[in-house]
Amino acid sequence: MRKLLLLAPLVIAAMPGAALAQNSGASNTSTKNVGVIGTAPAMCFAGTVSGNGSYDLGVLIDTATGQLRSDLSAPSKVLVGSFCTGRSTITVEATPLAAQNSTVAPPSGFSRQVNYTATATGWTTTAASYTTGAAANSAATQTRASAYTNDITVAISGFSTSGGQSLRLVADDNYLGLVTVTIAAVN
Amino acid sequence: MKQTIGLSALALMLTASPALAQSNTATGTVAIDGQVRSVCILGDPNPALVNLGQISASSGPRTGKIDTIAPRTVTLPASFCNFAGSVVRVTTTAMTSSDTTSPQPGFTRAVNYTATASGWAVGTAAATSSALRDGTSPTATGTGATQPLPKIADIAVTLSNFTTPGDLILVAGNYSGNVVVTLGPAAVAD
Repeated sequence: MRKLLLLAPLVIAAMPGAALAQNSGASNTSTKNVGVIGTAPAMCFAGTVSGNGSYDLGVLIDTATGQLRSDLSAPSKVLVGSFCTGRSTITVEATPLAAQNSTVAPPSGFSRQVNYTATATGWTTTAASYTTGAAANSAATQTRASAYTNDITVAISGFSTSGGQSLRLVADDNYLGLVTVTIAAVN
Repeated sequence: MKQTIGLSALALMLTASPALAQSNTATGTVAIDGQVRSVCILGDPNPALVNLGQISASSGPRTGKIDTIAPRTVTLPASFCNFAGSVVRVTTTAMTSSDTTSPQPGFTRAVNYTATASGWAVGTAAATSSALRDGTSPTATGTGATQPLPKIADIAVTLSNFTTPGDLILVAGNYSGNVVVTLGPAAVAD
């Protein structure tokens, strides 16, 4: 019992000292936090088209036969500096080369449209491609999982006369088609 | 036992006599001891959250890159230290995207900025974060000059100079960072 009585005052005396030390350490420095937030929305930029923005195929037919030339070609176009800041899709669409002045239905043995395939490479592992006149274009849209930037190369190839290669093309100074490449942010 | 009682009564009588001989005014001194601990208190930040909204440009030549963001000021009102020799320190953590995936080449998920605390001592306390484009190394710390007197003042913290590493395109997402303001004795580093 005597030992207990002697120890008790020592404990009481020690406690105030500990409390003061804690107060001193906690109160002479003050800290506050300020949060900063912002948002970068998903966005895409389809680049700048190299050159004049059009394919010039020249004369479409073999003048000896009146049928579509088999060696049609045109340099590819490049969408320079394309980017998407998040997950995206690339879609290629195209319209056939069609006679703009001769718009009536062509007579038998003739055609006024040329089909072709437009292909966009450089964005996805599998190129997006679209063939005019095809029943379906399952490869027209491709998906990229993350933000990406690159030049997209758009090529046209595989020209064929609508209705069959044996048909002749009606004369027209202006056959016109359109290739549209779209890159879009998706969730 | 009877003898003992008789002696006690005598003792009481003897002690009463000296008291009757004293003055009717008595003066005493009582010491009062107290302490004032060193205290620094920062006022609550106003606003506590700086919302920059959209931080990337949506049109023009800088599309997708960091937009021009006006400086924002946060006030910590009536901040004080009751002792001489205090400092303000700011620690800036860069804004980073909630998507922690390492960005593709050409992109960044970090936004650096400068936090500047003023109103306490001569000059300012400033820190500019310098996170890399993948968001690593996001923090920076700056300490201001020593305030030689006890002081109470509004401390203004200005966030400015928002940039991205290499001026790269920002990956889409929600970005967040923070500034830690500390007011304390100059001798205490942390």
